[in-house]
Amino acid sequence: MSFDWPTLLPLIFAGLMGLAILIYVILDGFDLGIGILFAAAEDTEQDTMIAAIGPFWDANETWLVLAVGLLLVAFPLAHGTILTALYIPVFVLLVGLILRGVAFDFRAKVPAGRKHRWNRIFFLGSVIASLAQGYMLGVYVLGLDVGPGGVAFGALVALCLAAAYVAMGAAWVIYKTEGDLQKKAVLWLRTALVLTALGMVAVSLATPFASARIFDKWFVWPAMLYLSPLPTLSAVLFLWLWRQTFHLPKPGDRHALLPFLTLAAIFTLGFAGLAWSFYPFVVPDRLTIWQAASAPESLAVILVGTVVVLPIIIFYSFFAYRVFAGKATDLTYD
Amino acid sequence: MDPLILSRIQFGANISFHILFPAITIALGWVLLFFKLRYNATNDSAWMRAYFTWVKVFALSFAMGVVSGVTMSFQFGTNWPGYMETVGNIAGPLLAYEILTAFFLEAAFLGIMLFGFRRVSNRVHTLATVLVAGGTTLSAFWIIALNSWMQTPAGFEMRDGVAHATDWWAVVFNPSMPYRLVHMMLASGLTVSFLVAGLSALRYLYGDRSESMWKALRTGVFTAAILIPIQIFAGDQHGLNTLEHQPQKIAAMEANWNTGPNVPLVLFALPDEAAKENRFELTIPDGASLILRHSAGGIVPGLNDYAGNHPPVFPVFWGFRIMVGTGLLMLAVSWSAAFFLKRRHGLPKPLALVMVPMALSGWLATLAGWYTTEIGRQPWLVTGVLRTADAVGPVAGSHVALSLAVYLILYVLLLIAYLGVLVHLALKAAKDGDTSPLPGVMNRPLSQPVAQPGETS
Repeated sequence: MSFDWPTLLPLIFAGLMGLAILIYVILDGFDLGIGILFAAAEDTEQDTMIAAIGPFWDANETWLVLAVGLLLVAFPLAHGTILTALYIPVFVLLVGLILRGVAFDFRAKVPAGRKHRWNRIFFLGSVIASLAQGYMLGVYVLGLDVGPGGVAFGALVALCLAAAYVAMGAAWVIYKTEGDLQKKAVLWLRTALVLTALGMVAVSLATPFASARIFDKWFVWPAMLYLSPLPTLSAVLFLWLWRQTFHLPKPGDRHALLPFLTLAAIFTLGFAGLAWSFYPFVVPDRLTIWQAASAPESLAVILVGTVVVLPIIIFYSFFAYRVFAGKATDLTYD
Repeated sequence: MDPLILSRIQFGANISFHILFPAITIALGWVLLFFKLRYNATNDSAWMRAYFTWVKVFALSFAMGVVSGVTMSFQFGTNWPGYMETVGNIAGPLLAYEILTAFFLEAAFLGIMLFGFRRVSNRVHTLATVLVAGGTTLSAFWIIALNSWMQTPAGFEMRDGVAHATDWWAVVFNPSMPYRLVHMMLASGLTVSFLVAGLSALRYLYGDRSESMWKALRTGVFTAAILIPIQIFAGDQHGLNTLEHQPQKIAAMEANWNTGPNVPLVLFALPDEAAKENRFELTIPDGASLILRHSAGGIVPGLNDYAGNHPPVFPVFWGFRIMVGTGLLMLAVSWSAAFFLKRRHGLPKPLALVMVPMALSGWLATLAGWYTTEIGRQPWLVTGVLRTADAVGPVAGSHVALSLAVYLILYVLLLIAYLGVLVHLALKAAKDGDTSPLPGVMNRPLSQPVAQPGETS
């Protein structure tokens, strides 16, 4: 059997990049969401919330580096086009990520009186990074349109994504904490779910009208039929999770991880929908994944390494999560 | 405003800020491993105390390195799209391997190394320390390989204006790579040993005479005293390698305007590029010929052979001199301190006072060295393949100016906060001395039994 590698390799890398972005959004999503929820939490709760993500955030953010790295190495033409068009939002995102990342460490090491300042910076950085990511996604969906319509749509997606991150953050807090904080997180989750659902409906409605190409991909027979499970299933999961928030936390802390897993499933469904909307473009309407791809021999070199290393990465990431499994306690260096 | 100049300043500022932190984490990982292994071998809790003090510095430096590194990976695309479009087939796989083999390894085990002490066995905790230290070093390996390839490209061919790899072994182990890697690893070792020695000297000046202070101080001073002569030798070898592969850089480093024999070593000068001469020159006759060619009649390349194709002379000339001067100062200070610690079993106060600012000498030398080699590569981004001016992206100058201004403010503030925390941690350690309770270690209870959460993160 022979493969058509020049056709296959860009496709594989588009898949890998999509996977890296999805994992990033799910994993760093709860970090950023917890950062946003900092505004609603008490001092002691903030420490517990940090303890719930402290050992993981660094590895979580690494998935973003991998996603951008794959874009950069596999689709150098697209990398340049997308990032120069999104210069300012990318810059804002980076400032947010810098503030968020350093605040993690500074808040634990500065003299006690300065801790509040770094808590605020942690919140601010998380908000900025979440909004910037959503805005970039919105502008990207519309084919890097930065006219008034693109900006408005970007702002809508920004709010929606931030709400979704808050839901993820709340779900993670439910999983990692107990007592009053856990009860509080259930309320946070319920509110965030409503906002996320509203945002997702608005975005779903706006997308086909904003982009004729995407409209044509979704609303043709029989694609409509094959695609219908995506929105239906998402809606069912949403409703089910929303009802669950009235029963959580359950006796014996059963199903504490369930909200998080459900949200991850919803994210995955939404992501699949996005992927379908774009295929086969990596820059909407401009560059297909084959036009933007690196030389096949370079892609092959990276693929060999990826195939060997990625399972190892996933294995030891699981190990790290297992070491810090269970309810978050005070996080100490010793 | 010219986007090219602004983008260059922005990338320069970014990479300068970034390198400060890997320069610490690369070697500090191994120093922490040394503390840990000494503790495992001796069961002396002072080693563990030193570990806990410095692991916080490691955590903070690591976070600073990560966020500034992420920023750089985006800037390839936002400011220099021509770079990846031309040499993406080479740079891409090297960066990808860095992320896959090193970045994830560090990030995943960092959590266990920092917070897992009571959750995993002592053995697994030691292993996590090994993996994090190994990860940072591996990370440096790939980045140095890529940087060296940009300096002395090899193992590729150009097809339709795009570089394609023909021999990956030659790409990775290009002519300047082994020299640069050794030079940078030693630079990191010296940065950390002076930082450890300097902050320990600060504790000493504040009256701290605890075992953990002495252990850290000795580790820093003796490591520095051993590494500095090796670094001077390695730097000389790297210089000879540069002479062979990038003679125009050597010409600028020596501010030598005309190719010829009997070239003097310029100790001080203000190179004037318009007049093609040095003002206020102070020289040692035949010095450059002797150092570079090992004979007074040795021919040293001059800038006249590379008209319009050589780097700006002033920053390269001075960057090199600041690096060498700092290196000589490091030699003097570390050997004096080693002498007093070894023979007199103490540290004179004036020497301790000198050692405190010398805590940052590694940063100064590393930055000066990188400025020498990076500005020395101009006007090329990839020597002979891609000019810097041809790689810049179509972003408006005003946008770059805005981002540059914000980055600069952010970096200055973060640097102040970072240094403030280092001093705060040192003074706190000085105040605690050997008295603060140490928590129990799994499988191996310490003399102080109770686990008392010192601080949270």
